[in-house]
Amino acid sequence: MTQTTDELIADALLQPAPLLPLLHRLHERDGYLSEEALRAVSKGLRTPLADLFGTVTFYHHFSREAGGLDALRVCTGPICRLNGAEQLVDALEGSTGMACSGRCDEPIPVLRGGQTLVGLRADALELRETPLPPAPPQGIEECVFAHIRDDDRKQLAGYRRTGGYQALEQAVTSMTPEALLDLIDASGLTGRGGAGFPTGRKWRAVRDASGGPKTVVCNADEGEPGCFKDRALMDHDPHGVLEGMALACIATGASRAFLYLRYEYPETEHVLLRAIEDAEAAGILGDDVFGSGQTVHLHLRRGAGAYICGEETSLLNSLEGKHPFPRNRPPYPVTHGFEGTPTAVNNVETLSSVAPIVLHGAEWYRGLGLGDHAGTKVISLSGDIERPGNYEVPMGLPLRTLLFEWAGGGRKGHEIQAVTMAGLSGGFLAGDDLDVTLDEPSIRSKRSFLGAGGIMVFDETRDMVDVAHSAMEFFAHESCGKCFPCRIGTQRLTERLAGSAGPTEPGAWLDEVADINRTMKETSACGLGHAAPLIAESLVRYFPAAVQNHIAHSSRSTGLDT
Amino acid sequence: MSDQTGLTLTLDGASVSFTKGESIFQVAERHGKEIPTLCYDDRLDAFGACRLCIVEVEGARAPVASCTTKAEPGMRVTTRSGALEMHRRVLLELVVSENREVDVDELSGYASQELTTLVDRYDARTGRFEGRISGTSRPDDPNPFILRDYANCISCYRCVRVCAEQEGDYAISIMNRGFDTQITTEFEGHLKESACTFCGQCVQTCPTGALGDIKALRHKAIEKPVEKTRSICPYCGVGCAVDIMTKGDQIVGIQPAMDGPANEGALCVKGQFAFDFVHHPDRLKTPFVRNDHGQLVPTTWEVALDKAAAGLLAAVNEHGRHSLYAVASGRAPNEAGYVMQKFVRAGLGTSYIDNCSRA
Ligand SMILES: Cc1cc2nc3c(=O)[nH]c(=O)nc-3n(C[C@H](O)[C@H](O)[C@H](O)COP(=O)(O)O)c2cc1C
Ligand code: SF4
Ligand code: SF4
Ligand code: SF4
Ligand code: FES
Repeated sequence: MTQTTDELIADALLQPAPLLPLLHRLHERDGYLSEEALRAVSKGLRTPLADLFGTVTFYHHFSREAGGLDALRVCTGPICRLNGAEQLVDALEGSTGMACSGRCDEPIPVLRGGQTLVGLRADALELRETPLPPAPPQGIEECVFAHIRDDDRKQLAGYRRTGGYQALEQAVTSMTPEALLDLIDASGLTGRGGAGFPTGRKWRAVRDASGGPKTVVCNADEGEPGCFKDRALMDHDPHGVLEGMALACIATGASRAFLYLRYEYPETEHVLLRAIEDAEAAGILGDDVFGSGQTVHLHLRRGAGAYICGEETSLLNSLEGKHPFPRNRPPYPVTHGFEGTPTAVNNVETLSSVAPIVLHGAEWYRGLGLGDHAGTKVISLSGDIERPGNYEVPMGLPLRTLLFEWAGGGRKGHEIQAVTMAGLSGGFLAGDDLDVTLDEPSIRSKRSFLGAGGIMVFDETRDMVDVAHSAMEFFAHESCGKCFPCRIGTQRLTERLAGSAGPTEPGAWLDEVADINRTMKETSACGLGHAAPLIAESLVRYFPAAVQNHIAHSSRSTGLDT
Repeated sequence: MSDQTGLTLTLDGASVSFTKGESIFQVAERHGKEIPTLCYDDRLDAFGACRLCIVEVEGARAPVASCTTKAEPGMRVTTRSGALEMHRRVLLELVVSENREVDVDELSGYASQELTTLVDRYDARTGRFEGRISGTSRPDDPNPFILRDYANCISCYRCVRVCAEQEGDYAISIMNRGFDTQITTEFEGHLKESACTFCGQCVQTCPTGALGDIKALRHKAIEKPVEKTRSICPYCGVGCAVDIMTKGDQIVGIQPAMDGPANEGALCVKGQFAFDFVHHPDRLKTPFVRNDHGQLVPTTWEVALDKAAAGLLAAVNEHGRHSLYAVASGRAPNEAGYVMQKFVRAGLGTSYIDNCSRA
């Protein structure tokens, strides 16, 4: 029986962070968010109606028109565009484009309600399992992917067969939180979500922070175009993620954790809910973790289509039901996070690394990297490459080794022209700069960064100005609108890369673009605004002739909606 | 030199003291630095949107927004440098490029000249960064008080924040994101159907005139300078300080006094917008008394006062002084209100006197 709005509101109020789940249930029940439903939510949650309305409009996927939930959404991200996504939008009646939806290693994803179909043509869309990561070359040891290809790994029994939840059991029965923190410190594990902050230090800050209750958040928003590693981990090794979250709780002294999942992974929600249920039923999670008397409650929360909600403070506002603008820092989430409590926000991959580290030791993990670099990094590789997919590489692996030896090189008969780094956020690398190794110091020396590890490959057939334009369009679309340099800057850069506005004289064009880039990088309020200019900057650096040609040939008419 | 708290930092080379909790901006402002801002209103929580208030802090990767960064002991802060001024100019050029116009009439609102002033200070009318303008104006909103000309909006969200933080009405909010951001009411309706009380706070804090005082703007065409006279709103007992704006003999509008001790820049709809009665053609210019047929007829003050005195005396003599009750009009000048209570208390000997906003 369908529940009434009042029943749903009453249910939601029993849980922490009630707004998003409530909106999703109404959205799913009615197929859209009606005015009537929003009025009821405003009353029930005592949140001002104007604020609620504004916040709902922030999310790309909340529809406010009848039937909107089921309208098809086609990924028009950078890789899907290469595969003909725009034609697919035209071919599918009533469909609209959406930002990269994290399946760049598959045919074009199309979201239909709670399902993701993939295909290249309107008449050939199908449901498909998330691809497993390709096996690594001989002699390469993995951390987070070590058991992902095992049979039954998704199920609790399969997970436990190869040592699953032993780390958690050990942590609650024979280790002190202090020892756990020391171990993570010693392993050299750093954040895999983009910023690379030392995980042990973050957890210790939460543990040492006064006030509580403490909170752990698993950031599964994975909105960066060209990144699809967290989905592979959650779909094929969900318990590995949950175990990492539970270990983070034990280390920090938190008894609750949220997993914030991006909207575009509807199937993953079911996998995770099932895994949480099974682990609770087995007494592994819940009120009495392995009989230790410790409590770990995991709550799943789903986003609604906003890249910025992957930024940790925006994510926290989103969880709290507030307008998802990033917060001003300091204070940082480790002292003032979810509802003002000390909070550790960690990426899926970071958390997935924790149980193996506990089982095999800090030295083992450090040793997985090459040279001075600790551990591994999952790279999501896509675009003009023979074998796209997720590769867990030793930190410090030469980029060319990954591209040409692991992944089979570019498309037959073509040459790799450029790659992106950190999804889109690191801009392009091209020419001799492809000689980097996959670690932050090396890539940062080329004015880019490794970040979350998405690498998109473009061969010589691709128009790099066009690629840069669609990348900038993404940032403009996803800019939250809080700070001036990014809100206006991403728009002006998009217009200039589209050729729809801006100077026609090359010197003036380049000046404007350079000025916007610099001011955005130095004055924006969050990482989106700091990173977006790297696309324009690296385009101008590596492809000056193409840029000159673009300036000379674009037709301008100010006011175009680009 | 340090005060009793002993906290000091270095501001443009000079050691200055500060109190715990102060932002760098507040410390700098106290020391006479003119740091530009557009999203700042000292009555509101610092928000950090415009980024004009950036300063350099030794050791930081990039400039920091001084409004949202707390002062810390030992900080070395630079408020002006070539790089900072360059960023500020670029930011202002960007802002100019997103608006339909930069120059708006000063009658638009208290803060309406902030953008123009900064643009001129930074010589930012360069025509660079042209492109689409942001914000969709709402000429369809029929309310008689607040112009919603969002083609001139720069998304500083001062209006939204003042409505929430100062007024507690939460009538307006932020819709969409990025360049498509738009100030809205619930479901994009008109202010009249929203929680808006027409207090005008949003109008007065808007730095661009995107929100304008429609009643004041009626007098835009009068070619005389605006003069401001400080007064107290007569409508109720709160005692909000106002500046009455006049052009010649014409009252053209009311602005709240930001330094008014009772209101700190706040007003209600009456204090803000209800002043038309002063110049209203229907306003009585002579006294009226009833004739023998009960009709009101114009007369002289002499006749009217005699008649009033006779009536009051008759009532007092017959029923005692407490049989009288006086109500002072909120539309009378404060001075008249004062005389009225004096007359009732000292003259009639009763304390039965009240004001129309309570009676
Ligand atoms: C615009 C933006 C988007 C981000 N998106 C994600 C994301 O989808 N997933 C993620 O884990 N981190 C994301 N981050 C980084 C987070 O803010 C945060 O640093 C991270 O979740 C911390 O976890 P870690 O230390 O384990 O990496 C994003 C940052 C920015 C600025
Ligand atoms: S940099 Fe962009 S995304 Fe970040 S706060 Fe500013 S407008 Fe929002
Ligand atoms: S007039 Fe007052 S109540 Fe209405 S929107 Fe403006 S600040 Fe809010
Ligand atoms: S209407 Fe005025 S106060 Fe409101 S956001 Fe726009 S410019 Fe700022
Ligand atoms: S005043 Fe600090 S960012 Fe606007």
